[in-house]
Amino acid sequence: MANDTEYVTLVSSDDFSFVVQRSAACLSPAIRRMLDPAYGFAESRTNTCHFENIKSVAGIVLEKVCEYFYYNEKYKDAKDVPDMDIPTELSLELLLAADYLDGTVSPSEALN
Amino acid sequence: MSGRRGGNRIRGPQSALTDFLAANNISAAQIRDDYERRRRQSAEQDDAGEGASDQPPQPPQATDAALAAAHELEEEEVSKNKKKRKRSEKDAIEKIKKAKASKKGKKKSKKDDSDDDEDYDVAQDMYRKARPAPGQFEHCEICSKRFTVTPYSKEGPDGGLLCTPCGKDLAKELKHEKKAAAKPGGRKRRKLESDRLDGIARGGAKPLQQLCIEKVAKHHDEIEELGDMPQPVVERLSEIFSKKRVMKPKTLRLFLRPDLEDVIVHDSAYLEPDDYHQIFATVPNMKRLVLANCCQMKDDAIDYMLERCHKLRHIHLYAANLVSNGMWHRLFREIGERLEVIKLKWLDDSFEDFVVEDMVRQCPNLQRVKFKLCRRVGAEGVAAFASLAKLQHLSLQISSEVPTSVLCDLVSQRGSQLRTLSLEKFIDADDTLLEALHDNCRELTKLRVSENDTATDAGFTALFTNWQNPPLTFVDFNSTRDVDNNNSEGPEDAIGMASSGFKAMMAHSGPELKHLDIASCRHIQLGAFMDVFNGAQSYPALEHINISFCNRVDTSVVAGIFKSCPNLKKLVAFGCFDVQDVVVPRHIALIGVPRAQEAIEQFGVGIGVDEAIGRMVEVAA
Repeated sequence: MANDTEYVTLVSSDDFSFVVQRSAACLSPAIRRMLDPAYGFAESRTNTCHFENIKSVAGIVLEKVCEYFYYNEKYKDAKDVPDMDIPTELSLELLLAADYLDGTVSPSEALN
Repeated sequence: MSGRRGGNRIRGPQSALTDFLAANNISAAQIRDDYERRRRQSAEQDDAGEGASDQPPQPPQATDAALAAAHELEEEEVSKNKKKRKRSEKDAIEKIKKAKASKKGKKKSKKDDSDDDEDYDVAQDMYRKARPAPGQFEHCEICSKRFTVTPYSKEGPDGGLLCTPCGKDLAKELKHEKKAAAKPGGRKRRKLESDRLDGIARGGAKPLQQLCIEKVAKHHDEIEELGDMPQPVVERLSEIFSKKRVMKPKTLRLFLRPDLEDVIVHDSAYLEPDDYHQIFATVPNMKRLVLANCCQMKDDAIDYMLERCHKLRHIHLYAANLVSNGMWHRLFREIGERLEVIKLKWLDDSFEDFVVEDMVRQCPNLQRVKFKLCRRVGAEGVAAFASLAKLQHLSLQISSEVPTSVLCDLVSQRGSQLRTLSLEKFIDADDTLLEALHDNCRELTKLRVSENDTATDAGFTALFTNWQNPPLTFVDFNSTRDVDNNNSEGPEDAIGMASSGFKAMMAHSGPELKHLDIASCRHIQLGAFMDVFNGAQSYPALEHINISFCNRVDTSVVAGIFKSCPNLKKLVAFGCFDVQDVVVPRHIALIGVPRAQEAIEQFGVGIGVDEAIGRMVEVAA
């Protein structure tokens, strides 16, 4: 049932899909829980997370989020890490998205 | 040059060499000049064709074009010669020549079009106005004002000249751009070090929210509104804005939303009385009000607040010095019933003891009280706190003399339900206070008795021995020691938190202690430290330790601390001069250990605790 693929798909509210490594995406506790079979969400079967209903996760924002996943993994244990560049116009929306993804998640569909 | 005036149409193939030179901005025409001159000087066999035929034949098109170009340029030069030329003009033309030559050198196959283009361009250049000499009048390119040209006149973006004010503006813009472009790397490093000193920097990248918040804070003046931001994020942003001192009336508006329950402004120094009115107008449903540095808040602001905000439960006003006693009375009278939390600091001029008594009467539901640095509150005010039936958290720092009996009385009446007690700078409080704590407190989790030089070690030991209170999570006994310049070791019976007191305290609260602060408890001996942090005993909850200025501490103690406290995050050890050569394990920030060559804070990266200790032992051995 839960085929642990290496890559998972994240779909934004405006229908952009991003394929990222599972380990990178699970940096976000929200995504990790969505994909975790123990919680029984539909996402865990399809290995895809749909953010279609959530306004704050638009395509451009989700792209930056994925970039952040990899940036974090790359600098995991380093000192003196250079900051990731965030375009100013995007910063507020990115903040909202980051806040959403960092917290708990409400399931889009639940498996019984 | 005069020799060419007859329109000597020299035509010949353009060599590869000419092409190459042209590509390197060396003018073929100029070389021709020299050649002509040399030819004239030597004997005359002026068969240009002969000279030209020395060179290997080339594609005719390029040749023609090149020659045409060369000719045009020659002509131009000649005609210019006729007029009285300004120097800059000649330079401009030289530049054009070179540009044209290089352009021709690159273009391989162009036909008639190129000729036309060149003609047009060259013609344009000829018609371009020369720069007027200093002393002459010229119109500014940007504002079209007439001004006198000086040697310092700046050039505008289109090549014309600018008057002095426009020139200054342009120079300022350029300077700004340059400054923005050249980001000094030094600032980033300093920020990183500052973060580490705060103990929040970890290895690896910053959280995304952190990055975004910093970006938003940097561009704070461009934000129009915050949108649908959740409350904790709004709070965090307001903290950062306050820290950077940009909480001005304009930015304040970002944080006021009608649906918010809390208004938190940590730096209201820039806010004017009208802004306070606006706060209360926009957020009438607020339950929690935090205004620090609210120096400009006056009586009428409080008046308006009482009118509009009927749900206030939590008031936190620091430095509200313009509010009069009468207004405080009114405040307690009108919303005293609902008030659960009141925190006041830095009240210099008003708020006397009788106001405290009034407050206690009118606000029976107060649970948290913090009164610090309120100059006019004294012993009677403190005594009044004893009658607050629901008091759970009490924090006091009173500058006037408060006899210990008052404190003991307070503790004995309220002690049994107190969860937090913080008594700072009660210099003369003695062992009776500690006894009262021992006898009465059953629910304390946070205890602070600091800056005291009367209570003795025996008193502390007695407090923590057989104490029915469960283990504390937060302990702060900093600066409890004897202050006597003639006797730095202190008396025989140690004053303040010393060896036996320390041991007793750790024995009592060790299992659940999270935060330990014993800075300046310099009577604690090395033996006590070694006993407590002996590596075998584990303090699983301990995250933050401050042992600054406990000068008996040495490296083995620090090693022991690393071993005994598996979840340690921050160890502050200023002034511990026997601590040297520490190897810091990962996730721990060690702050304050002095080594001239190294950073003031050392951050552990990638080493486990055991390995770190092993290395330290090697070094010591």
